[in-house]
Order: sequence, then structure tokens, then C-alpha cells
Amino acid sequence: MLANFDFDVIRRSLSYLFIDGMTFTLTLTALSATGGLIFGTLIALMRLSGYRVMGWIAGLYVDFMRSLPLVLVIFWFYFLVPYIGQWVTGSSRPIKVGAFASSLITFIMFEAAYFSEIMRAGIQSISRGQPAAASALGLTYAQTMRYVVLPQAFRNMLPVLLTQTIVLFQDTSLVYVLSIPDFLGAASKVAQRDGRLVEMYLFAALIYFTISCIASYCVRRLQSRIAIIR
Amino acid sequence: MNYTWNWHIFLEPNPTGAGTYLDMLLAGLKVTIVTSLSAWVIALIFGTIVGILRSLPSRLATWIGFLYVEFFRNMPLLVQLFLWFFVLPELLPRTAGLWLKQMPNAPFYTAAVGIGLFMSARVAVQLAAGIGSLPRGQKMAATALGLTTLQTYRYVLLPMAFRIILPPLTSEFLNTVKNSAVAITIGLIELTGAARAMQEFSFQVFEAFSAATLMYLVINVIVVIGMRLLERAVAIPGYITGK
Amino acid sequence: MIEISHVNKWYSPSFQVLKDCTTSVAKGEVVVVCGPSGSGKSTLIKCVNALEPFQDGSITIDGLKVNDSKTNLPKLRSRVGMVFQHFELFPHLKIIDNLCLAQQKVLGRGREEAIAKGRKLLERVGLKEQAEKFPAQLSGGQQQRVAIARALAMDPIAMLFDEPTSALDPEMISEVLDVMVDLAREGMTMMVVTHEMGFARKVAHRVIFMDRGEIVEDAKKDEFFGQPRSERAQQFLSKILSH
Repeated sequence: MLANFDFDVIRRSLSYLFIDGMTFTLTLTALSATGGLIFGTLIALMRLSGYRVMGWIAGLYVDFMRSLPLVLVIFWFYFLVPYIGQWVTGSSRPIKVGAFASSLITFIMFEAAYFSEIMRAGIQSISRGQPAAASALGLTYAQTMRYVVLPQAFRNMLPVLLTQTIVLFQDTSLVYVLSIPDFLGAASKVAQRDGRLVEMYLFAALIYFTISCIASYCVRRLQSRIAIIR
Repeated sequence: MNYTWNWHIFLEPNPTGAGTYLDMLLAGLKVTIVTSLSAWVIALIFGTIVGILRSLPSRLATWIGFLYVEFFRNMPLLVQLFLWFFVLPELLPRTAGLWLKQMPNAPFYTAAVGIGLFMSARVAVQLAAGIGSLPRGQKMAATALGLTTLQTYRYVLLPMAFRIILPPLTSEFLNTVKNSAVAITIGLIELTGAARAMQEFSFQVFEAFSAATLMYLVINVIVVIGMRLLERAVAIPGYITGK
Repeated sequence: MIEISHVNKWYSPSFQVLKDCTTSVAKGEVVVVCGPSGSGKSTLIKCVNALEPFQDGSITIDGLKVNDSKTNLPKLRSRVGMVFQHFELFPHLKIIDNLCLAQQKVLGRGREEAIAKGRKLLERVGLKEQAEKFPAQLSGGQQQRVAIARALAMDPIAMLFDEPTSALDPEMISEVLDVMVDLAREGMTMMVVTHEMGFARKVAHRVIFMDRGEIVEDAKKDEFFGQPRSERAQQFLSKILSH
């Protein structure tokens, strides 16, 4: 059975798979995680702000995003972003948005909902004495958040944030539904062009598996180190 | 926005000739529900077995449980579905592979099994954590009464552990529903797939996706309410979970 | 009835919890085991029904060797009642079902018989009215009395108590001790790890004093309280009896 395998197809497509595909996947993952974290933190702050309307809007956004399948959200933004672009720029026709930009916006908006829940838990885990002590020193609300609360919340939640980023790394494969050549998309293109589905999908699985395993091993190491320091 | 809304589109006949576009979406909704429930049953069965393995004192059992979870957790669900759908039939002996390929409804079975196993790893992690959160003395007390390990799990540890992890299981079930949309990639016409098909035929993108979104929201609300009722039904008088 | 001979137990090569422990409990005898915390007394009593494994030596109960792979451990354990520091009632089962579970699943008694037996024992520990409640609805003292009844429901040939009153509020200690005193007076074979020297004075036949994993003193009650031979036991007694 293995004799029928054509492992050369993998060797021939390596540069396409990694230089094009994996670069797309990793860039998308890194930028989405960063953007998702920033927006997620803002959403978490809105929820905890004490202003009822703001908290309500933020909560609604998070619950809404978290009840939809990522695939559907990807489709939504793919079709919606051109119209939003048209509205923002005041152009007369829906503007053209590239595959990368469209996916990036989708993942930032989607992941923000998940990251905000993690940051909210992180902020809530910090003892009430900390903001009180900061205010007592004369720091404003913004300063308290910026210099006292958020750094601690971020550090405490770092393992969870990284685990979520690994999930995000795997989830970026879903841009496949838009026929975008991320790592899996590239593998799939080669697979279909050369009729080598078995080899290409097994190889893609192996690469995703290896990267995720190493990453989650590092997170576990980090977690146990944090646990010791505390 | 120069997009022409047409909410009447749902009542217009769909191109398959069988009913309206709304019927098409409802058929997709049904596939989503059936697929999710089937996958969930598989996830619960395998998740329970692996969760128990992970909580046993035996090194070998813990190790097997660990490998199982890592295997299913470290690959994108989409890739796993491709492995089941495109790769597995080629790796099996010829006749078995052929049988798999020609199976009617192959996308449905692949989705149920693939998503089920993917979710089972997460159920296993939750269950092992739930068992681990029980006082160590519970297992000892059951053992001291002469119950076997199997009986100890069946009558003492699992009933408590499942009660404790009911809230996280609710979100895992909702994840199962959401993950069923990934099966669009192997040709399953579930809810998202039906909305996508409607968009392609009718060009009414936003109506199609709005309707699908609404249906997902309704599923969420129903599941959350249902699980809350279940939680109340199995709550133990006087016992505060998370003590 | 219970023969413990030359038992050694290590948690790790450098940490020995039990050092060459040898003692015995005759039929109908009440033996109190005391000693400072960390002396290994709880570990020793858990070794008696093999809840804790030990590496060296042997323990036999009623002629059956505990550390023998041929021994049917669940069956052996079902004949030895055990009461734990933290009660370890099963929180998801009603009081009466806590008493019935092992009767039905281990001894194979019918439901009716198990309930009848359970009710009789609940009456004996003064909790007849609580049969339909759940553990979390009872006080600590009541829960511990239920735990004793649960062990008695198996018609044990001996009872092991592992610090049965140390998790209780002071006002509840006596209600549990009263039940234990009655049991002792009826001739039950008992091995009791406790700091309650009043209980020891009242009903114990022998007192074992342990320190750092060793049995330092094993004497008749009067000898022990009259003139303990070892200095460590003297110190322990003077500390525990000083207030």
C-alpha cells in the first residue's frame, strides 16, 4: 500500500507549501491573535466598566459571536466587508477586498469575543485590593488599568491566551472554504492538481500536528513555571 | 449600500424543485441537528472511556488517555475530516475502501464520526478534571465498602463528576453544533451549507446568512435553556457545586 | 482477627512512612492508635484493608492475607467496615441509598432487604427520620453517624476508624463517640485512630502509640495511661492531656 505512495509530490511542492501557504497561515495567526487580544481586552474593559449600556453591548457582541460557527462568520465577512468598505470610503460600488485582508478582519472580530472572555476572567481574578491600592496612590482609572491591572491579568492568563492562539492557528485552516491558499489550501491545491490526496493530506496533518504539539508542550512548560513562581 | 434586499426570497421556489428556499434552509437545519446529536453521542461515549482512563492510577492508562487527547486536539478539525473522508478509504484494503467510498450519505457519517471523535477528546479532558476535583476519600470509601473499580466509577464517581461538569459540557455541546458547519467542506449540506447554496442560487447573500444566523441563535438558546433545566433536575438538595 | 507483621512502606526510596510495624487485634478487642500527626497511624489503618499498598511485611484479616494477589480484595474489604475522617458519604445518593448501595452491589442483597437493614441501622444511630434526605442536608455529626451505619450495614467482622471525630465541631463529637462506645460494648472488633483519650480510657483494651512511622508503644490501656514506658509517649500524653 505504502509502495503506491508518491512522496516526491511533497518534496516538489515544499516551497509552495511553506513559503506561500505556511507564511500565510502563520501571519494570519499572529496578526489575528494580536488584533483579537487588543479588541478582546477593550471588550472586556467595556463589560467590566460599570456603564450598563456599554457592558450590555459588549456582552451581546461576545455572546452573539460565540454562538455562531466560524465557517458562517467567515462567509458573512467575506460578503459584508466590501459593502462596509464602500460605506466607509463613500465609494459608489462595493470595494474589492483581498483574501488576506478579509480573513484577517474576520478572525480579529471572531477571536476578540473569545479573547475578551479570557481577559475578563483574568481581570476578575486580580484581588480587589490591587485597583484600590493604585487609586490610593492617585492613579486614574486608565492608569490603574494600564499599569496595574492589565499587566497582571495578561501574565496570569498567558497560558490560556497561548492555548487559544493554538486553537486559532488550527482554525485558520477554515479559510479553505474561500479557496484561499493558506497551508491547507496550498496542500489541497497540489493534492487535486496531481491527484495525490492521500500524501498531501497526511503531510498537512503531520505538520499541523507537529507544530501544535510543540506549541502546547511549550505552553505546559510555561504553565508549570508560572505555577512555581506563584 | 446598493444592495437590494428581498425578504420574500424565502418563499420563492428553490432550484432543486423541492419547495421554497425556506424549506431548503430548514432541511439544512435538520441535518445540522441530526449531525450534532450523532456526533455528541459518539463524543460522550468515547470521552467517558478516555476520561476514565486518564483518571486511573495506572501509568499505562493515563498515558493512553494522554496520547488519545493529544492526537485529536492537535490537528484542525477540517484536516481530521479530510483524513477520514479522503485518506482513510485509500489506506484500507481495497474492498473495505470501496465500500466506504460508495456508502450513501458518506459525508454525514464522516462528519458524525469525525466531529464526534474530535469532541470526545475535549469531553475526556473535562471529565478527567471533574473526577479529579472529587475528594480522594470518595474513591477510598467506595473501595472500602468492597465496590470494584468499575462499580466505584459507575455508582459513585461518575454520577458526581458529570453533575460537576454539566456547565462546561453545555458549551462543548454547543461547540459540537458549531463544528458541524465544518462538514460543509466534505459536501454535507447542513445549515451553513444550505445558506451558502441559497446565496449561490439566489444572490441574496445577506438574507440567506441572516436566516442561518438566526437559526443558530435559536439552537443556542434552546440548548442553554434545556441544559439549565437538566442541571436543576439533577441538582442535589443542599449540595453546592464548586465547594 | 487482624495480624499486622513487619509492615514497611515507602512513599519514595528516601521517605519511609511505616517502619517494621507489628501488632494484632483480637476478636472483640478495641485498640486505639494514637500519635502525633504524620506518625503514620492513618497510613497503617489504611493498609489494613489495602486502601494503601505496602512494600514489605504482611497483614491478615480473619486468616486471609491482604497483600496476596489471590485474595479477593473487594470481598475482603466488604467484611471490614471503615469510617473516614471526612465521612465520605456519597453526596448524590439519599441517606438510605448510601446505606443500600454496597449491600446491593457487593453483597447482592435485594432492595427490600437492604432497605430494611438500612432503616434498622439508621434507627440505631438515632437518624431514622433522615433516611430520605441527602448528605449535604445533615450536620457533620449526623453524617458521621450515617457513615458508621453504612459500614455496619455490611455486617462487618471488624471496624476501622480513621480519626472519625477530628473533622467535627466540638459539640458534635460526643454524639459520634456515643455510637462508637455502644459498638465497643457490644463486642465489635475495633481499630480506632483517634486523639480522643476519653474514648480510649472508657472502652479501649489496648493503646498503640506511633511516632515517625514506628509503633513505639503497644500496651494495655491501664499500663499506657499509668506509666508509658517511652519518653515520646509520655511527652505526647502530657501535651494532649494538659488541657
